[in-house]
Amino acid sequence: MKRFLAIFMTVLLLALTACSSSAGNEEKKSSDKDVVEINFFHRWPNEPRKSFYDQKIKEFEEANPGVKINVNSVLNDSYKEKIRVLVSNDDLPDIFSSWSDSFAENLVSSGRIMELDNILAEDSEWAGKVIESQFAGFTFDEKKYGVPFTVDGKAFFYNKEAFKKNNLEVPKTYKEFIAVLDKLQDAGYETPLVEGLTNAWAISHYMGTIFQRVVDPAVTAKDYNVETGEFTDPGYIKGLEIFKELTDYMGDLSTAIDHEAARNMFASGEAPIVYMQFAEVKMVEDQGMKDFGFFDFPEIEGGKGDSKALTGAPEGWMLSKNAPKEAVDFLKFLTSEETAYDFTKTDGQLNAVQGAVDEGNTSPARLEAYELVTNASATTPWFDNAVNINIADIFMRGGQTLANEQTTPGDIMKEVQAEAKRLKK
Amino acid sequence: MQRRKFNIIPVLFLLPSIALLLVFVYIPLIQNFYNSFFDFSVFSQTKTFVGLENFKNLLADKVVSVALLNNVKYAIISVILQVGIALVLAYILEDKLFHRVAPFLRVVYFMPVMISISVVALLFGFVYNPQMGLLNSFLELIGLENLKEVWLGNPETAIYSVIAMSQWHSIGFVTLLFIVAIQKIPKELYEAADIDGAGKIRKFFSITVPQVREAIFVNTLITITGSMLVFNEPYILTNGGPGFSSTVMSVHMYQTGFVKDNMGYASTLAIIIFLLTAVLALIQIKLSRTGKDD
Repeated sequence: MKRFLAIFMTVLLLALTACSSSAGNEEKKSSDKDVVEINFFHRWPNEPRKSFYDQKIKEFEEANPGVKINVNSVLNDSYKEKIRVLVSNDDLPDIFSSWSDSFAENLVSSGRIMELDNILAEDSEWAGKVIESQFAGFTFDEKKYGVPFTVDGKAFFYNKEAFKKNNLEVPKTYKEFIAVLDKLQDAGYETPLVEGLTNAWAISHYMGTIFQRVVDPAVTAKDYNVETGEFTDPGYIKGLEIFKELTDYMGDLSTAIDHEAARNMFASGEAPIVYMQFAEVKMVEDQGMKDFGFFDFPEIEGGKGDSKALTGAPEGWMLSKNAPKEAVDFLKFLTSEETAYDFTKTDGQLNAVQGAVDEGNTSPARLEAYELVTNASATTPWFDNAVNINIADIFMRGGQTLANEQTTPGDIMKEVQAEAKRLKK
Repeated sequence: MQRRKFNIIPVLFLLPSIALLLVFVYIPLIQNFYNSFFDFSVFSQTKTFVGLENFKNLLADKVVSVALLNNVKYAIISVILQVGIALVLAYILEDKLFHRVAPFLRVVYFMPVMISISVVALLFGFVYNPQMGLLNSFLELIGLENLKEVWLGNPETAIYSVIAMSQWHSIGFVTLLFIVAIQKIPKELYEAADIDGAGKIRKFFSITVPQVREAIFVNTLITITGSMLVFNEPYILTNGGPGFSSTVMSVHMYQTGFVKDNMGYASTLAIIIFLLTAVLALIQIKLSRTGKDD
């Protein structure tokens, strides 16, 4: 038996050393040629952004012959999951994209993210170009951990032609909004307002804005914090009732389609109103829809929140704590005015670098959106990034079942309160 | 009698697979048991010991009962269709009447098995599309408009739509296993039955079914454990929604761990899935006394 064990251990050891030595060789090979490899991870495997970043990587590698950039990308939800797994071990990519607020905060809590204050302070010319207000979502304990790049906001997009035909005005209040929806329905639109509720995040965007309008900001500030959250304010029930009322205008379809399908329905003129991000303006334009405008979520009568705030948050870049200094150079390159200008020109999405958005690289509609974002009285982060994910999940799933009339706002809030209590422990 | 000397050679041959099994199956399994007593997040490097807290949460978790029920629905429907219908299908395909078209039909039934489940799920996403999907268009075509449904968006139909897709995907595989088993039955049995004047149905129940008992057992086992472990289909097609209506245990576990970041509780859910499949396998082995002759 001893002999057996000895052989077993030897084989195991051999196998292990074989694995590790091969990995070691690779490292050696790269250092022989004095090439620094940077792992770059982003969440845009789709066009036009994939090609844009591939092109930028090529440019950077040409300008810096000693650097090789390995790029990897996966879409949205998979990105969220993958980055969580990566951050739990030392395989975190050197530079990667991140959402702001709680998403970034969670990553930062791993202790594996680089603090950027010194880097930003050292190169004030570059750092000063980034719109200061957009750093908020990446700042935790007064330290900056990310550089914002894209800016975004959410608003109702409406089909101007449909509004004109039915003599409709852009609604200023929630009551007016409902009246507009009723009129559109009477005019023959099956779904005057469209949304793909299979995407949980789309629901969370609605809820975040509605709560922001209805509930006192002091209350949400307290509730959105895991340590103090209670969710006992009656405003939440009112908010869910409002959400339910809106889903009634979305037709039977809404629970079976995704947001992309909803966007297509708007772009094809089938649905006259949709709640979308400014990041989507170009997608709608590319599909041939040109005559549309937007309005912020209307003021809700009797609401205690800020009726002028805009829901939206930037996305940005983060660095791993162990990233080489070349990754910092790459970060500066990605957020330079030149790259940012090209980016908005190619992709259509607005960016957080000053001077990189003007009429030369964007459409009038997007420029209007850009001013809305940069001039908003305040920005509210996406709801699923503002509250604990367990709470957000109850609201999002609850939103789906609410649309199906399988539950009531009261039941959802009971669940939320129980979860808030559990999380506080 | 001389004691046989311990021979090292066969053990050496087994070593690689033992090592791999240990590293990828048994050690993670033990780790998972260990993890279920802790509360921890992928982001933090510290674990808090919570004892049986996670198991207590399990009893209060409403999603677990929904998910378990969905797994049971999955199992029942899959056994009826994949084992029951597949056996009948295999019997028909092996019938003399179908000798000419059997190879073609076999390919038709087996084709879906070859397609990756992710692709199948995306495909069925289109089939179930309420607006322009194949299913609703078909219902309209044959004049059954009132049966049109928001298949994946309605909590009543979501899970059944997912299950239906799985059946389409896997029935060919089970059929194929049955065909192999039926081909092994000695022809003399059927010839003797023919002489006795037995009909096709009588032959099916008196010869085919008892002769392929072993295959029925294996297929039932595969199907039931498969239904307990099912993940891809509901995850890709509905993500467990709307609400939790089409959530199954493994989707719940995955979301708890990787979306909601409760790793400890996810480990507890994994234990439940493990125990369920283990118990089922034991019951099956016990009941069918496989491997032993009567």
